[in-house]
Amino acid sequence: MTVLGYLANGLVYSSIIVLGSIGLSLVYSIADFANFAHGDTMTIGAYSAFVTLSAISAVGGLGGTVLGLPYGFFPALVVGIAVAAVVAIGTEKLIYEPLDVDSIGLLITSIGIAFIYRAAVQIRFGSDVTRFDIPALRPIEALVPYGVRVTLHDVAIVGSAAVLVVGLHVLLQYTDLGRKMRAMADNPDLARVSGIRTKRVKLWTWVIGAGLAGAGGVFLGLFNQLSPRMGFNLLLVIFAAVILGGIGSVYGAMAGGLLIGMITQLTPVFSNVIEALPIWPGWLATLLENLISIEYANAIAFVIMVVVLLVRPNGIAGEGAT
Amino acid sequence: MSLVDDPRGALADLTRPEAWVLGVSAAFALFLFVSLLTGALGPSYFLFLVGLAGMYALLSFGLNAQWGFTGLINFSVAAFFGIGAYGSALMTASSSPIAGGFNPLVGLAVALVVAFVLALLIGIPTLRLRADYLAIASLGLAEVVRLIVLNERWLTNGSGGVRGIPGFFQGWPVLSTFPEAMPGLRLEVIPGSPVLLETAFWQASLNVLLVLMFAGAVYFVLHRAHQSPWGRVLRTIRSDEDLARALGKNTYSFKMQSFILGSLIMALAGVFYTHLNLYVGPGDLDPITTFYAWVAVILGGSGSNRGALFGGIVIVTIREGTRFLNDAAALPIDPAPLRLLLIGVVIVAVMRYRPQGVLPPQRELIWPSAVDGGGTPDTPESGVREQKGGGGDE
Repeated sequence: MTVLGYLANGLVYSSIIVLGSIGLSLVYSIADFANFAHGDTMTIGAYSAFVTLSAISAVGGLGGTVLGLPYGFFPALVVGIAVAAVVAIGTEKLIYEPLDVDSIGLLITSIGIAFIYRAAVQIRFGSDVTRFDIPALRPIEALVPYGVRVTLHDVAIVGSAAVLVVGLHVLLQYTDLGRKMRAMADNPDLARVSGIRTKRVKLWTWVIGAGLAGAGGVFLGLFNQLSPRMGFNLLLVIFAAVILGGIGSVYGAMAGGLLIGMITQLTPVFSNVIEALPIWPGWLATLLENLISIEYANAIAFVIMVVVLLVRPNGIAGEGAT
Repeated sequence: MSLVDDPRGALADLTRPEAWVLGVSAAFALFLFVSLLTGALGPSYFLFLVGLAGMYALLSFGLNAQWGFTGLINFSVAAFFGIGAYGSALMTASSSPIAGGFNPLVGLAVALVVAFVLALLIGIPTLRLRADYLAIASLGLAEVVRLIVLNERWLTNGSGGVRGIPGFFQGWPVLSTFPEAMPGLRLEVIPGSPVLLETAFWQASLNVLLVLMFAGAVYFVLHRAHQSPWGRVLRTIRSDEDLARALGKNTYSFKMQSFILGSLIMALAGVFYTHLNLYVGPGDLDPITTFYAWVAVILGGSGSNRGALFGGIVIVTIREGTRFLNDAAALPIDPAPLRLLLIGVVIVAVMRYRPQGVLPPQRELIWPSAVDGGGTPDTPESGVREQKGGGGDE
């Protein structure tokens, strides 16, 4: 594959990371804790879509296809988003809201929630890997000469993610709810005394954050496959993206998601570069060649995350740039 | 007021949760005893479970030294546990890809040294971070360690893991041949279901002896450390780091010391696990191990060592109980997700109904002489009160 090919793959993977990281960042800033159940919310979205798609296929499907996806995929996507949002609201109402603990307590609770979500999925569907009931596609012929091997599905993922991100931008910038959310992220007490119903805004935050996570989960299932651990495995990568972008900044989360997605997918390119560079002494070159390889793609993202936390804890977008 | 001098007074002193825990533990012990006698529970397997419970208690002690004492949210428990396990396994195993074949004591020393270095490597960058960032960063670095163990086949044999590990007492004068030397016993308490005590049983009892030694030593050290002036600085950092700074304490240094102490204890748990399980694989570094330790600590009560002990036993009950349920009752559910579900429910339930844990630290924070004449003092909530009560040790 060429660099262009890796970039294209990176873009697809980044779209999924961005969808996850926006939701995580929103919840982080408005509900004020690191939600470790976010990854498993993605899993729930993916499996809900899986069930819906199977049901639709069972009754004969809805006819034609768009971008290689049967029409039935789109209602399944909507169901995935909706179920993720409903589950998140239910959890907020039943578990998080009645809790009388600080943000660290909420963080620990969210780990328990993550386990419960994952266990529920695993009990229902088993721990094996599954796929959406959609035939795999060949890469788009016109792009193959450039070394880019993307399918129509990948185009659909990037396109849908772009639509969702633009929609969120409009929501945040031009609607009443968006202004309230930004106010709350900035200063919850001030927002409350100004007459904003903060509880309601928080619920909407969960809806949006979990909904985007659900969409991300469905696309992740389309991009790779579905397994009960899919979301949890991605969680740390998403955290890396959020921290790189700056916690609380939605636009930072988008940028961070794009960067982290690209970095993890471009690792083979980096290792080629390292091999080509005349690094001295020799042992350093060997070490770098060993460490910068596809097995360590995620590890590289985590190390970047720690470095960002140390050097620039506010991330690339800085404080309060929502 | 020890149980020996004045059993009735000691019993009357118990708080309600303590009484409950004592009652439930006694009932559980009775249940286990009956299962042992009737042969429903093999004695070797029972001792294996005791060893496992001791191991989780050790892990929880380690985490308690970090989270309970100092308030450090360390999500890299699995990394230290795994490094301890791999450190001793690679030094002692016959199939080790590197040296191998050393005395288990060498393995123990190497494991502790490697864990010490790893604690410095993880601690130096992360301990300056805010609490929730520390959680995320340490989880990330633990994953990095796991990926390295998984991928560096020349060092760790990759996903194959390490086999051929000897027992801890291999090469010791008497103890190495003890299990073979002991006669096989046959107890027949209930006619028709004899309980056999053979080599495996004696081997397992050696392991239990080992973990009791480890846990006893660690408990003693932690207990002393907790009551020492050093421990009081840690508790001050936990409740108000700025205050500790204002008092002229180098909080970063204290946090590092507590982090290293805890990490070494976790590595010790790993070393024991190696010689208990006789197989180590990359799966042992899975983040779930970290969360098992966390459940044990928050369930038992953060900062409470006996709570950590209780939590460790509960974890083993959940872990092995689900397996047992699956075998015996033929539940249609796979044990793995059931275990995950139980762990999740326990976390949520504790945070919802008893965020301070089942056995929160009470009198173990202060010297017994500071409590005048019997009666249960109120739960000390703040550091000030603890300091007033515990002022007699200087």
